[in-house]
Formats: sequence, C-alpha cells, structure tokens
Amino acid sequence: MPASITERVRVIAADLFHLPPERITEQSSPELIEDWDSVQHLNLILALESEFKLHFEPEEIDLMKTIGDVSALVAAKLGHRN
Amino acid sequence: MIRLVPFTAGWIEATRVFNCRVAATGFEFPLQPAEGSYLAVDGNAVRGAYMLRPQCFHLHGGEAEEVAHYRLPLSEGAVNRAYLSVGVQLVRHAMRQQPMLYALGMGGMANPLPRLLAAAGWRLTEVPFFFKVVRPFRFLRGMQHLRRTRIRRLAMDLAAFSGVGRAGVRLIQPAVRGALEVECIERFGAWADELWRSCRGCYACIAERDAATLNKRYAEPKYLRLKVANLGWTVALDTQMHGDAHFGDLRVATIADTLATPGAAGEVIRAATAYLERRAVDLIISNQMHVAWREALRASGFRQGPSNFVFAVSEPLASRFDDSGQAHINRGDGDGPIHL
Repeated sequence: MPASITERVRVIAADLFHLPPERITEQSSPELIEDWDSVQHLNLILALESEFKLHFEPEEIDLMKTIGDVSALVAAKLGHRN
Repeated sequence: MIRLVPFTAGWIEATRVFNCRVAATGFEFPLQPAEGSYLAVDGNAVRGAYMLRPQCFHLHGGEAEEVAHYRLPLSEGAVNRAYLSVGVQLVRHAMRQQPMLYALGMGGMANPLPRLLAAAGWRLTEVPFFFKVVRPFRFLRGMQHLRRTRIRRLAMDLAAFSGVGRAGVRLIQPAVRGALEVECIERFGAWADELWRSCRGCYACIAERDAATLNKRYAEPKYLRLKVANLGWTVALDTQMHGDAHFGDLRVATIADTLATPGAAGEVIRAATAYLERRAVDLIISNQMHVAWREALRASGFRQGPSNFVFAVSEPLASRFDDSGQAHINRGDGDGPIHL
C-alpha cells in the first residue's frame, strides 16, 4: 500500500478526532479513540470519500475496524494492493 | 462481515435475541417480518435493523411521489462500540433502497439518530410544539415535567392555591370565543377528498390525506374526527394520563392532525380549540410545522415550548423544497399519533 494513502488517512483521522497525527496509528480504533462514535465514523467515511473521490458500499463500512483497515480498504478501492 | 438482508421468518429468533442485547436503548424491533424491513446480520447474529415504509408525498401540488419513512433504525452500536459502524451501514443501505427518505420524531436533535442523519447530509428541523393550559389549577398541580425540583413544586403549588396561576394563565392564554361549531364525524367522506384536492397545492410538501387514507389511519374510536364547516378538519385525542413522566395524571388533548388551506387554518384551530376547551381537558398540545398552522395556534392562545419532535429529510427529498416551514407536517405524519 502506498505510504501516501496511509499518511493521508492518518491526517484526515487526526483532524476529525482532534488528535495530533502521531497519535493516530494503524491500530487506532473506536476502542482506543473516545471521540470515534457512529457520527464520527460517518464523518470519517464522508471525509475519505471526498479526499479520495470514491464511494463506500454499506457492506464495506463494516471492514473499517482500525485506521489500518481503513487505509487498506481505500488502497484496495483505488486499485493499490499491499 | 456484516451483511444487510431482508427480514424473513428465519431471522425472528435472532432478532428476539438482538432485542434483548439492545434493551438498554428502550427500543425493540418488531418481530414480524415485513416487506421493507431489513436486518444487519453478522453470521447468525442480528446486529441492526430498520424499516422503510413507502408513502406518498405531494410536493408543490404535484402528483403523488413515492417516498419512504425511515423507521426504527436500531443498531447494536448503541450498546457496544464494536458495532458502531452498523448505524452508518443502515442509513446508507436505506438510501440505496430509496433515496427520497424522511424520519420523524426521534426525541430531539441531540439524540444519536438525528446527529447521524445530520452528518449524512439530511436536513433536520424541529416541528414546533405548542401548548394551551385549559385548567390552570390542575395543570400547576399535575404537570410533572415542570415539577421536578422542590423549589418548582413549591412555586407551582403557591401559584395554584393563591389563584395567581389561574389569573396569569387566563391573561396569557384566554379561552377561545366565537369560534365555528365543529361536527364530530365517524368517517371522512367525499367532502374530505374535495378538500384534499383543493388544499394539497398550498403546501410545499404534504403526505397523502385523502378520505381513504384518513379512514384507515384514524379508524380507532379514540380519535376525535372534527369537521369544521367546509373549511377543514382536525383529528384530536383526549387522553387521561396515568403517572406519565411528563403529564402526570393530567387529561391532555392533542390536536394531532389537521387540514385546510393555510388561509383557513386560523378558523379550524379556533373551532377545534373551543371544542376541546368545552370538554374540560387540562391541557391542549399540538406540533405543527407549517407557518400558517403555527400562527393559527398562537392566535388561539397557544404558546410555543421546546420541541423534541424532529422532521428529517434526506438530501434528494430536501432538494425538492427549500423551506420546511412551508411543509405540512404534524403528529399525523410518520407513525401517526403515538405516545399521546
């Protein structure tokens, strides 16, 4: 997966959750970030869709358990593979 | 991985177990599989559910258009953060089934569902709430929502027993005089269809209110179907509360649904209010969205209070009318007059 995708996802998440980017890791998840509720989950999806010009199907949303999962899904949808 | 599937008989037991897990939300999903009911399932477990109920709206007087009422979305994410994505999946799935969606009620803007819908780009508006005190003494002694602190209870009792409360209410909310008579009807007839045809073009957005729809919706004897000359009608409820968290043991009338041209709203509300005042209820309440109906309530002595009744429309539906204040929305919409 291109590092730029992971980095862009981290910046988006950091902005959304009001955290410094270095606090956002691949393991970051709703269990670890208090502000990550269902509304913020939707906001994250909308921000990613806007940033990467893509659309997530309802079934794909369930795959976004961690920031690492999110980055991998974005990469997959953009045609990049790990 | 969570999948969205139609609710079929094979999922009833898993849905029952799901209802137990989300019992802390105070909601439960009906266990009757029906067209338009969907489940979010994870293996053999149900993690979320919602319903779409098709309905006809008329926009700016146009022909009937199918929209859907987004009902009872329930997510395990409400009680378990591991499933917080389910609520998002439900609303996205619903939008895929029918982009023209609305939701109603939801207990106020601050609740999770309205916040989620707002984030999804829906337009949310509170349907204004109005009240009129008819029997001040009983209201002051029995309105539990306002009697939550010792100081308030003391002040309200003082106002009740001294007569100050009665004088104040009479000054602010005088009884209606000189209103038209209402006719209590059993069913809506051809006149209601004629009225519907003449009224629907007056509203930017209005749900079907022809006689057939009304006779189905308001068939139960608890509804007071009030015809006001040839101007319009209201459907009201007269409910004796028992230990209600808000209303205690008050007798509460609700002007639940209405129809007339906006120009005739004032006469219709005056007539309905006068009728309910004669029935000696303690309090009359109503939620009305359209500006003409709001003004009609104010003109009949109602005052506005905080509303927890929210009208939410998805982006494609919101794009069809700019101002929710021109939509005719009240307690007759959505699931109809419930919790009243």
